[in-house]
Amino acid sequence: MTTTPRPAFRGVNPWLTLLLVVIAALFAFPMLWFLLSSFKPGSELFSLPLTLFPENWTTSGYVTAWTRFDFWRYFANTGIVALITTTLTVLVSAMTGYAFAKYKAWWLQVFFVCILVTTMLPTEVIMPSTFAVIRDLGLYNTLAGIIVPSILTATGVFMFRQYFRTVPDELLEAARIDGVGEIRAFFEIMLPIARPIAIVLGIFSFQWRWNDYIWPLIVLNDPNKYTLQIALRSIVGADNIDWSVLLSASVISLIPMVILFIVFQRQIMSADMNSGLKD
Amino acid sequence: MSSTFTRRQILIGGLSGAAVIGLTAACGSDSGGSGGSADPSEVGTLQFFLSGDANQGGGFAAMAAKYEKETGFKVEIVDIANDDLGTRLTNAAQADDLPALARVGSVDPVWKNATKDLAEIMTAAGVMADLSTQDEDGRVFSLPTDVTGVGLFINKSLFDEAGVEFPANLDGDVWSWDDFVSAVKEVQEATGASYGMAMDASSHRLKSFLYEFGSTLWQPDGSGTYTTNDATKTALEYFYEINDDSFMPRSVWLSEADGNALFKSGDVVAYYSGSWQIADFAVNIADFEWASVPTPRQPVQAVNFGNAASIVVFDGTGQEQAALDFVNWLYTKENYTELATTSGFLPAVNGITVEYADNAEAFDLYNAEIAASDPIVTTIKQMELGFEVAGLTTEGDPLRDQVVRYLNDEIGVDECITTIGEQMTEAFGSAS
Repeated sequence: MTTTPRPAFRGVNPWLTLLLVVIAALFAFPMLWFLLSSFKPGSELFSLPLTLFPENWTTSGYVTAWTRFDFWRYFANTGIVALITTTLTVLVSAMTGYAFAKYKAWWLQVFFVCILVTTMLPTEVIMPSTFAVIRDLGLYNTLAGIIVPSILTATGVFMFRQYFRTVPDELLEAARIDGVGEIRAFFEIMLPIARPIAIVLGIFSFQWRWNDYIWPLIVLNDPNKYTLQIALRSIVGADNIDWSVLLSASVISLIPMVILFIVFQRQIMSADMNSGLKD
Repeated sequence: MSSTFTRRQILIGGLSGAAVIGLTAACGSDSGGSGGSADPSEVGTLQFFLSGDANQGGGFAAMAAKYEKETGFKVEIVDIANDDLGTRLTNAAQADDLPALARVGSVDPVWKNATKDLAEIMTAAGVMADLSTQDEDGRVFSLPTDVTGVGLFINKSLFDEAGVEFPANLDGDVWSWDDFVSAVKEVQEATGASYGMAMDASSHRLKSFLYEFGSTLWQPDGSGTYTTNDATKTALEYFYEINDDSFMPRSVWLSEADGNALFKSGDVVAYYSGSWQIADFAVNIADFEWASVPTPRQPVQAVNFGNAASIVVFDGTGQEQAALDFVNWLYTKENYTELATTSGFLPAVNGITVEYADNAEAFDLYNAEIAASDPIVTTIKQMELGFEVAGLTTEGDPLRDQVVRYLNDEIGVDECITTIGEQMTEAFGSAS
């Protein structure tokens, strides 16, 4: 065997690394442009030649955005909606998926197909009927009106069902022989086993709800209950858009998500790798 | 993954669960109170839905604050994205949760009959009757809050650099479209600007262009069939010619490029848009000088103007009287003048003179152009308001949609004109 000269870092292919750096830069560029543009004064945003860095750094967009919008309230509203929905989604999906995987009854199969069928219709199509239901339940213009319809997702149920099917029945039978009740078996044996799926679904659900736009727009009427996305949208006027305020407000709205990402980085990375799901 | 992770989640979930119950309980019906306007605390807060107030200087917010100070009644300004305002109001109407009042782009059939008659305020305050939506019986659905007009902006620095003359006001010779196009081309050659002119991809602007060529737009004959005159064809062919990616960028009409951004880049000589841009340009253009100049005529002098938005008062909210009182107060001479000055509005009330703090010449030019416009503008506007009252709408925007197809070489000019006529006949034929 002949030995070829190795690069300084063993096992590192410099060309592949270079390729990765280039791709990462391609992804980072629009983000960087967006971030730096939020520090430009309005007169610089469109003036030619376009520059990446602001000529005159200014935070006036941020100041206007922060004074014009009650960000704390919108963060709180969005956070409440995202957290409660996510918690309930994970719990409900786990229980439903568990029932489909471990209980045998003919109607369960039919019911499962019914739930899967809901994925065949785009959400927008059933919005008018959902709206009618929400209105008649008295949930119009309440945060509960955004939370309730979003709890059940066929995707979540399906994920849990598939996962629980891989868990051997013997485990459950052993527990039953030991005298463990059904509810305890679910909460103390099955749910902890399914934690990876719960985390994946939790992360996705949180992202979906944080970025939700159309449904909150339809349900919420009172500006005090606005979620972040609805509030941001009001910057877009009839004929003019205040770009510098819009850019700064968008950057501010990203901050909580970025913090969450930093905290749960490990889980999020593996969640994205495990599932490849996208809503 | 440690077990504290899930425990923490449960804890947060529980806490926020309690919070949401508290919140939803606290925010029940906000349209409490009953008829009379005697006691502000009984009437409660009046919600006022509108769009773009903060971007336009916050005039309505300032007036609401003044009103509360004077009378004790609280008017809450709810600023909503323009594209969403219609959805929000129709949904609110269906959920029986309409705000006390709103400033809308047009009257919607869904809630049209849930509005109060504003005829008295219109007459008393001298609000432009031509721009108010009213039916044959004189019931007034909405009052214009302000007027906007189509107008032409130029990059003055480029004109100066090229040494090309331009008319600054309506006195003396104003250019024709031929003069304008050749002047701009001269500037383009001398300065190397990429484009001559951008025009917003909107039928509102295009109508103005058509009027200037003597078009009467599409009007019904005795049988309710909508047809137009020959000038429309001449104008559309002219428009097609200048959309050549050298004088006008094709991207604006065909792929919704932003004309406003193009003009702000300083690389476009002129911009055919309207009065609402003045405030934006004043703040966001620093690299060159811009100016409002008279629109070209070929040979008709006309700018399309109309009620940018109109105010409506909703019935059945329990706050009708208080809302009517507010509108009445808002349209008094003193208060309306203040509103128009703060927000940079062209007045929708007769006999009002507004002293604009900035860009006064530009506003004066718009007011002069509107006053001198050919009567066809009002005729068509009246016809359109009639459709609005009758609750008639078209699918999409026939003029804009068909012209886009024409510019894209999908159809010829004759087919474009007949299709628009057919679509209007189908939608409005019954009303004529």
